[in-house]
Amino acid sequence: MLSNKTIENIKKTIAKYPKKRSASMDALMIAQQECGYLTEEALREIASILDISTVQLNEIAAFYTMYNKKPVGKYHVQVCTNVSCSLLGAEHIVEVLSKKLGTKKGETTPDNKFTLSEVECLGSCGTAPMMQINDDYYENLTDAKIEEILKGLK
Amino acid sequence: MGNEFVGDKPRRYITQNSELITIFIMATVKINGKEITVEDGTLILDAARQAGFEIPTFCYQARLSRLGSCRMCLVEIAGQKKLQPSCVTPVLHGMEIFTQNETVKTARASMLEFLLANHPLDCPTCDKGGECELQDLTFKYGPRQSPFAERKRRFHEKDEILSPVIVKNHNRCIHCERCVRICDEAVGAKALGGIGRGAMLKETSFLNKELDCDHCGNCIEVCPVGSFMSLPYRYKSRPWDLVETDTVCPFCATGCQLTIGTRNGSVLRVRSKIETGINKETLCARGRFGYDFIQSEKRLTKPMAKKNGRLTECSWEEAISQAKNKLSSAKKIAGIASARLTNEELYLFQKLMRNVFRTNNIDSGSRWTDKRTTDALINACNLSEGGTSIFEALKADLIFIIGSSISDENPITDYLIRTTAADKRKNLILAYPRRIKLDSSATISLKHTPGSEDIVISGILNALQNQAVKTDGSQVSESDIATIAQRMKTASTISIFLGTDSLRFANGKEMLLGIANLAKALKASGKNIKVMPLLDRCNQRGAWDMGVHPSFLPGYKKTNSDGMDCTGILEASSKGEMDAIYIIGEDIVSMYPDAKFAKEALSKAGFIIVQDMFLTETAKMADIVLPGASYAEKEGTWTNQEGRLQRLRRALQPIKAAREDLSILSSIGGFEYKSARDVFEEIRKEAPGYQDISFDSLNNTGVLVKGHGAEKQGSRGQGVKGSSETKINPSNPRTLEPSNPYLDDYPFLLITGNHLFHSGRLSQKADVLKRLLPESFVEISDKDAAALGIKEGDRVIVKGKHHEAVLRVRVKQGSLKGTAFIPENFEDVPVNCFFKKGEGIPRVKISKQ
Repeated sequence: MLSNKTIENIKKTIAKYPKKRSASMDALMIAQQECGYLTEEALREIASILDISTVQLNEIAAFYTMYNKKPVGKYHVQVCTNVSCSLLGAEHIVEVLSKKLGTKKGETTPDNKFTLSEVECLGSCGTAPMMQINDDYYENLTDAKIEEILKGLK
Repeated sequence: MGNEFVGDKPRRYITQNSELITIFIMATVKINGKEITVEDGTLILDAARQAGFEIPTFCYQARLSRLGSCRMCLVEIAGQKKLQPSCVTPVLHGMEIFTQNETVKTARASMLEFLLANHPLDCPTCDKGGECELQDLTFKYGPRQSPFAERKRRFHEKDEILSPVIVKNHNRCIHCERCVRICDEAVGAKALGGIGRGAMLKETSFLNKELDCDHCGNCIEVCPVGSFMSLPYRYKSRPWDLVETDTVCPFCATGCQLTIGTRNGSVLRVRSKIETGINKETLCARGRFGYDFIQSEKRLTKPMAKKNGRLTECSWEEAISQAKNKLSSAKKIAGIASARLTNEELYLFQKLMRNVFRTNNIDSGSRWTDKRTTDALINACNLSEGGTSIFEALKADLIFIIGSSISDENPITDYLIRTTAADKRKNLILAYPRRIKLDSSATISLKHTPGSEDIVISGILNALQNQAVKTDGSQVSESDIATIAQRMKTASTISIFLGTDSLRFANGKEMLLGIANLAKALKASGKNIKVMPLLDRCNQRGAWDMGVHPSFLPGYKKTNSDGMDCTGILEASSKGEMDAIYIIGEDIVSMYPDAKFAKEALSKAGFIIVQDMFLTETAKMADIVLPGASYAEKEGTWTNQEGRLQRLRRALQPIKAAREDLSILSSIGGFEYKSARDVFEEIRKEAPGYQDISFDSLNNTGVLVKGHGAEKQGSRGQGVKGSSETKINPSNPRTLEPSNPYLDDYPFLLITGNHLFHSGRLSQKADVLKRLLPESFVEISDKDAAALGIKEGDRVIVKGKHHEAVLRVRVKQGSLKGTAFIPENFEDVPVNCFFKKGEGIPRVKISKQ
């Protein structure tokens, strides 16, 4: 069950749009901020508030990598593997992170501290390769830089 | 360059700057060197097809929104560097288009190579193999080689079962999204979506879970490959081994065209064909999956006669001669025939009863109302004046639907209206107490007290005439009525769709007279009005056209003396005044809205002959039972609710010793008709509306029946013309004073009707449909559920004055408070036991078990 406050916020955001369904993305993000990820129950509830079918909401949630479909750890490490980053070694970055964190991509460490994800373009091609940890960007990544960043998160 | 434009019908628009611009309506283009003139705005694809050039497509489907994603229809346009998708690109005057040069051919072959890169080559075990669009197009346009050696995308090992009828193989999907669009745009179920992205996109249900949808299987039909499959048909046959027969669906009066596939005498599937029939490839669950009753083990296969109080099998000769003797020697006899029989059978039935046995006591199901109400419906819809195409009716600016749970009763009519209502300039007004699927497309949804339709209609009429509006007892606000009247005033064409609730409710006649008056008033103000019936039995209109009615003959010609209607027949029988009753295909005991009365009445009949496919509750009471045939085993015609005459074709011979109803009727009457065609020739002479139609030329579109030129029904005082009964007095609240749902003894009004998966009791014999909805339920509004502390799925006791039942609850958001609905289809919950003749809509109370 979404909290009253979350529902309130979703309703507030609906008011910004000409149609309820236009608020889908905002509503998903608001719910994710409360639950950490999008549960089946949350999706059903939001769909009912927005008066759209559950699968139509599911389409949006599944398309964007910024919506978590599974629970994530304290630090959500999201590596961009889209074209620019990929050309500048994003796959290597994922490999390094995977080794350092001891987890595969798409998975969470047993202590629930880190989740490693590959994500679509984060719009920071000029500073590729890059990643986002929770809400912060880390750019022009190198092996050494990664080590330093992770140290700061321990 | 003005004179380069052709066409003499310019369209003029005024721009925001008040400039007048003129757009010429025609455009001339050159396609592969051939010049063609088409309407401006035509898609290149359509123009090319008109010019006789074939363009392959996957994602394009005429009635769906344009996607332009499969890139099979790419064409070259002179002067444009890149190839353009012809299914989303309109022609421009002077365009030069190439659809079959080397560049286009290479592009098509490459697109197919891309699709095949991920498409598994499991064609030998794929249901679609042999009728697969990907196979066919690859054969025709494919690259004929495959240098691709990477691993194919793979979602799963085993097919995923999404519903009792739908099974999905994601590996085979080519992402045309036809399934998603048909589910959203036509069916309105919105149960499928494209989940994921890129090659890993899955066209599936919410979280890939079991579907809770209409189970109509239209996703299966539109799937170009074997991704969506029918679970009952999977692995049963190769398509080329099936013998296919085009016929018409028996489950409602929409009259959808369907194709039965049989192999070695068994029915293996039902499918629909692209852009065929009024249904244009769509079907509902009962049409597509309700075919297994045809070969059900429960079918009656031999005639039976009552010996020592028990029904025992006998020979046809014995059964026929006994039936003949009893019917000839009986003084007072009556006949009731199902509106599921063909026109030919119904015609012969009334001829037999009238000419041979000399009685006008004949009737068809028609929701068991009295003949005056039936007359009022026939009148309100002008049935005797011939057919009206639903597509013409849907062109109206305003569509008003009343008295029908249309999404359940006539699912394909619901699809057609939904597709039309997507045009936002149209007004769709829906009046029905329960929330139904079409409500989401409606501009105004009225939720009125069941049985208060006449108050709603007279309210609208009063508002139109600027008189005071009273809506007491209907729970509808006066402002809603005023809005509807206002919309009606501004519309120039209005179509009213009238459902069979008018025949179910005690005040149906008032409602129907109201509709006739409303139509008359609107017509008088210069509007174009069409009143369309929405009927539940597939040939109800045909039954009336054929004169299966106590007061008129084929073609709506008056009888010299009125006979008894169904209620009259039962009343006479209950007094022991009926010597013989001949019943074809109607289960009166189960369906008449007062089970106790119907059973008692029949038990006092002198002799009962029942002709049916199954041993129904009524058949169990018979002295003779004659096994008839299903729709798949017959030749003949049906007239759908529009008045469209369509051909039934025989897909297989009647099961075992069962016989076609036409031949049984012929034997009893001693008629010498060789086939349905012979009877139809006689119908042409008797019913003027059928005069110009040739039996053999009936194709998949059918033919609209013409007017019969008969005097209007009920013009003797029951109808519209100058009758004093036409005035409705809305101030008379009858039994409609708003009750307090939580204090009254029996706070709920119980309404009934068909469930989406069922039609009468026939569909109960279809096991696949039973699987979709195994048990009956009672549906109440969310407000009532909250007040009573009841949750979805709880078991409750529904108690009426005459009957009670324990049922699971379904909670419907947005239905009217104080209304309960139980489907009329379930044998184990005979909803007609709640009814008592003369009491109207029954009241019930609902409590937790």
